[in-house]
Amino acid sequence: MKEKGPGAQLPLPALPDREGARVIHLKPASRAATEQATSRPRRDSLWYALYFPQLQALNEEQQQAALRQLAETVVTVSSSISYHPRALVAEVRSSLNYFGGLAALHRQLQGPLQESLQELELAPHFHYAAAVTVHGSLLLARGGLNAAVYQRDNLRSALGHLPCEVLQLNAEQNRRLYNMGVRRLLDLWRLPMDGLRRRFGSELVTLLNKALGKAPEPTRNYLPAPAFKTSYELPYGVENLDRLLPVADEMLGQLCDFLRRRDLATDRLLFMLQHENREATRLELGLRQASRNNAHLLQLLQTHFGKLTIPAPVSSLKLTVLQFDAFSGKSESLLTQDRPRSDSNLDLFMEQLRARLGGQALKTIHSVAEHCPEYACRLSDYGSDKQGRQKQAVSDRPRPLWLLPQPQLLTLRGSRLYHRQAISLVSGPERIETRWWSGEDIRRDYYVAREASGARLWIFRERSAQRRWFLHGIFA
Amino acid sequence: MATARQRHFSPHSQAAATGAVQHIEQLLQGNTALWRGCDLAGQGNSGQATGFSELDAILPGRGWPRNGLMEIVAPHWGSGELQLLLPLMRSVIARGQWILWISPPYLLYAPALVQAGVDTEQVLVVDLETSCRDALWTMEKALQTGNCGLVLAWQDWLPGKVLRRLQLAASAGDTLGVLFKHKDSKHSPSPIRLQIKDCSPESRPCSEAEVTLIKARGNFRPLSTRLPLPLSSPVKRSGAARA
Repeated sequence: MKEKGPGAQLPLPALPDREGARVIHLKPASRAATEQATSRPRRDSLWYALYFPQLQALNEEQQQAALRQLAETVVTVSSSISYHPRALVAEVRSSLNYFGGLAALHRQLQGPLQESLQELELAPHFHYAAAVTVHGSLLLARGGLNAAVYQRDNLRSALGHLPCEVLQLNAEQNRRLYNMGVRRLLDLWRLPMDGLRRRFGSELVTLLNKALGKAPEPTRNYLPAPAFKTSYELPYGVENLDRLLPVADEMLGQLCDFLRRRDLATDRLLFMLQHENREATRLELGLRQASRNNAHLLQLLQTHFGKLTIPAPVSSLKLTVLQFDAFSGKSESLLTQDRPRSDSNLDLFMEQLRARLGGQALKTIHSVAEHCPEYACRLSDYGSDKQGRQKQAVSDRPRPLWLLPQPQLLTLRGSRLYHRQAISLVSGPERIETRWWSGEDIRRDYYVAREASGARLWIFRERSAQRRWFLHGIFA
Repeated sequence: MATARQRHFSPHSQAAATGAVQHIEQLLQGNTALWRGCDLAGQGNSGQATGFSELDAILPGRGWPRNGLMEIVAPHWGSGELQLLLPLMRSVIARGQWILWISPPYLLYAPALVQAGVDTEQVLVVDLETSCRDALWTMEKALQTGNCGLVLAWQDWLPGKVLRRLQLAASAGDTLGVLFKHKDSKHSPSPIRLQIKDCSPESRPCSEAEVTLIKARGNFRPLSTRLPLPLSSPVKRSGAARA
């Protein structure tokens, strides 16, 4: 807002009817005078940089993760923390008074930071420095100076003593700087900026300008991880779980609002049903696909309630989100006839099945290119990865639709085979010899056989010493 | 009701109302929502082809029903009860729907399904150890969602109330549910009950099954037919095949 000082220009109404109206010319106020008039000392923000050279050993992703974890510690002293390569920079001017100076603030941080570094199995040391610009503090910390620069005017001289390595340029640029006789930043200050820009590109110049506070410094800031917790005290103990549903509905409504505002979804929820004098009942809702649909979550909860028995009346209800996930929306076709048969129905159904029966009950089957009949069919949990499930060629010999989990020994009476009734061979043999490499030597002759009752069976005879007969499948 | 009355009236008022009766007849035949006790053919071709022309001929609607509950009675597993359904499974898969197998008695063997042309990508097995309640719950839910084209379950004895509930779920979700049983229960409310028995002669390798329609909405007396149910590929190869 513009100050209404003595130099402000007032708009004068034009008065045509009165003659000799004087127009007052006001001198435009000089900039210096305005600053003098509103003289308030400008407080620069103070940036506190933490440099972790030991992160060099990790790869890019691990570095990111480590910095995220370290930022969780630093957030205790500052609300704005930005990520930089192997470094965090926090704004501390606003909290300097509260902690009582930079030294106290550093003491506050040192212990927890060393602990988190040890948790990450990294060496528990770090460089730190404070300066009035983000990049200035960063360069100081990289230089390992542990210095504090409170005044913008001192930046130039403070940074000047740093060796050129703190700029972390590439090898070619370093070589060129060295050849030019530039050893310290001091030598760079003496060079003309446009020449530097031509030789080293604008990045270096921008970095130097940022460090000296001559260029704006946009940063990528740390955002604390979302957390959601809510609870509801019931006025009296509730024994019937269905009575909890309206309460749960409201809590899930809050949750879904929370998720929608942050464009998130969740795939793991925890309901705690608290009882008096008893341990709380844990009810974990796992979703196959992250969701923020109130009705869907409630329906799942209802399914879970359906098979839950509680040891005592429920006195209060707590809801926590264990896992957040990015929300992925689906865009639908505008024309109804283009819409494929919706799979959301199926997903909902699968969720419900999983909630009620447990994850292991749902199986998909697929055939595997294997000679040994037991290994040619594989069951895997629904929703598990579909790797290696390309269409496999199967044998052209007859295979039964039912396979016995274990081959069943058949009895041989006289010259006739018996299962429940007498068995006669229909066709065969198909010889299968395999898996000698794995120790279980499979050498069998498979036959299609027919029971007196009409059932068609798949039987085999061992080709090993005992030559026993086994029932292995049923052609249903 | 209407059909019975029409039968009574038609001999008496022949001369005057022949044209009108024919007209009514046409109207009735055109209406697929109506089933007529006296006339099997009158149901039109509302069913889905079974893949066996002999079976199509005796089933009302010339094929398996589009939705509802069906019971298949086999004295023991292995009488060809699944082979009867293989063409249906193929068409369900082709429609992009799922086939759900609820607690089958043995391991479902994927290579055999592949041999029969049933894509295993759309086959889901619900593997339950004991709980009959969970199996029925699953079946009801599966019948209600429209994504499953065929739901197969093996349950020997179920009370009429449960069957009626499943029937309602099946018609709500427009899904066909099949219950496999060992024994027939006389008063089951399922609209179709079949019995399958193997009747192939001892000597012949090609097997034949006798399918008896114990009950079907739309016909009065049990009908039966014989179907050839060959194995997917007849095996006659001399000598040992090295694996």
